[in-house]
Amino acid sequence: MEASQVGRRRFLEMVSGIGAALSAVVVGFPVVRAFVSPTLASPPKDDWVKVADDTALLDVGAPIKLSFVVSEQDAWIESRTVKGVWLFSEDGQKFKAYSARCTHLGCAFVWDADAKNFLCPCHRGRFDLKTGAVLDGPPPRPLDELEVQIRESAVYVKYKEYRLGVPARIEA
Amino acid sequence: MNPIFRWLDERVDLRGIKEQLLDRKMPGNLTWAHTLGSATLAVFIVQVVTGIVLAMYYAPSPDHAYESIRYLQDRVLSGAVLRGVHHWAASAMVVLVLAHMIRVFAMGAYKYPREINWLLGIVLLFLVLGFSFTGYLLPWDQKAYWATQVGTNIAGTTPFVGGFLVKLLRGGSQLGAATLTRFFALHVLLMPLLLFVVVLLHLAIVVRQGIASRTGALEEGAPPHTSDPEYPAYYKKAYAKSKGAGVRFYPDLTTKDMVVATAIILVLVLLARYVGAGLEPPADPTDNSYVPRPEWYFLPFFQLLKLVPGSMESLVAVGIPTVLVILLVALPFFDRSSTRAFSKRPIARYSLIFLLGSSALLLGASYAGEQPEVVAEAGRPLTNVERSGKAIFGAQQCGSCHAVAGKGGGGTTGAPNLSMVGLKHSGAWIHSFIENPLRFHPNSAMPSFGPPTISHQDIEELTRYLVTLRGPNGELTKPEFVDTFPMLIKSKEK
Repeated sequence: MEASQVGRRRFLEMVSGIGAALSAVVVGFPVVRAFVSPTLASPPKDDWVKVADDTALLDVGAPIKLSFVVSEQDAWIESRTVKGVWLFSEDGQKFKAYSARCTHLGCAFVWDADAKNFLCPCHRGRFDLKTGAVLDGPPPRPLDELEVQIRESAVYVKYKEYRLGVPARIEA
Repeated sequence: MNPIFRWLDERVDLRGIKEQLLDRKMPGNLTWAHTLGSATLAVFIVQVVTGIVLAMYYAPSPDHAYESIRYLQDRVLSGAVLRGVHHWAASAMVVLVLAHMIRVFAMGAYKYPREINWLLGIVLLFLVLGFSFTGYLLPWDQKAYWATQVGTNIAGTTPFVGGFLVKLLRGGSQLGAATLTRFFALHVLLMPLLLFVVVLLHLAIVVRQGIASRTGALEEGAPPHTSDPEYPAYYKKAYAKSKGAGVRFYPDLTTKDMVVATAIILVLVLLARYVGAGLEPPADPTDNSYVPRPEWYFLPFFQLLKLVPGSMESLVAVGIPTVLVILLVALPFFDRSSTRAFSKRPIARYSLIFLLGSSALLLGASYAGEQPEVVAEAGRPLTNVERSGKAIFGAQQCGSCHAVAGKGGGGTTGAPNLSMVGLKHSGAWIHSFIENPLRFHPNSAMPSFGPPTISHQDIEELTRYLVTLRGPNGELTKPEFVDTFPMLIKSKEK
């Protein structure tokens, strides 16, 4: 092949390559960005949820389970689901709140009034009332404690869900 | 040589593939019009890639289809651009397939030995139109819903099998949930599979036969008909000679293909970015005032349907496409002359000019005949209350006396046109009036609609709808109320 022909071939290959790359980038950018969009968008902000109207009406010394409705946006579907927290206070002033899901696999645990601790019926995990620590069974970490605020004697909880079945507390 | 290439070559004979595919000798002097086929392929690839990600954010159910598209548009990063590319590329597919077909027709490339590929091309054309028809419904907005009503109704006018066809297309007698899942399955499962197989065949044949040369190269000293026994031998020699110019598929042709494909793709992305794909209010099956418009490339055909008398409509609606298909299929078997140059084929030339000319005229007429858009409502999507008011307007047959935006009215009642009633009267006045018109005009011909005819709540919803009627500028026009309340009501209001 003559030198000019080699040069022509190089040029054509380069033009083809640039065209292919340009097409791939301009189409690929929105395609890939939309595909990975769920990993880039920030998670929805947690809001404080009112779980009880008046602290005076709550039992002291024994935990109580409170259910409340949260609006959940699941992609394009908005739904309302019932969530629960266990609320506990020794003095009626300071409150502790635990997420009502067992940290093992998410079962709803109950208050064992005889043993004075929480019992998860699924795999017999037990948690301490005051600290949430694991007393028995397979749960990998203590109960998930939630932030509590008292505003004008109403109880608000910052409801969050954490990844289940792992020792570390990672937001789900 | 590249070691990876050598490693693969020893095992799968890459060199053989390269020689047969890339180093193929091609006829010289191919035009830019010869790139239309590969440009169509490039845009199809764009459709596949964008379509896959669109499907990740789409719920094929009337409950959620519209919301899922909204979510894609508003919440997914680059979602609006992605949908825009798919939308504009759909139009581009139709345009490119037609342009490619016209090129093949004008250059006589459907003649011996390329009859099969012409037929496969017709299949591909209809698959592309099928994609366009099924994809149009998926956003489940007003345009989608009503255009599909019309489209399926046209299928229903087919003689003998019309009723069957409508039910088959809709998955029932009404357009609804079963239609949407059906169209979705056709659009993302069946049609891509079919298109993929037919495109593969189409391409395999192009590789086997080689692309048709410029017309002159296959005409000099040719027997008069392609059916003549000596034609195949002549063709073989003439075609081999046309490949003597030393042009190779890669990189000589692929560069031209790539340049055209890239230019088209850039235009599509720009259109997607700066124009986007529209999304109308969600489909409202109770809205009988919506005027559906088909996609622009169907407009000439719809304009034609408007021109024929009603009794002939079903004949033309089904007949013209049928005749067109028969003509296209018969073409390579019917036209056996070995002449390929467009300038020497007067019938072909006049037919094409007639077809393109009449389509252009019909398209022009369709745009010219378009009523200046009267925004009957506020110029924004109606709220739920206003929409139920509108439904009451229909259910109570208000439109049989009152005209709104050029619809309804007539008769001899002399009922006022309500197109701009929202500018003249306040909601309170309209509500009171509907309840008992005689309080306002002792001679009013309008019956009282107060309870028990319809409830106060219904009257209020109807009123909320009526106050949105503010003429062509919608909410931009400031109302000037000319309400006059009878003494009785005034005293009650204080």
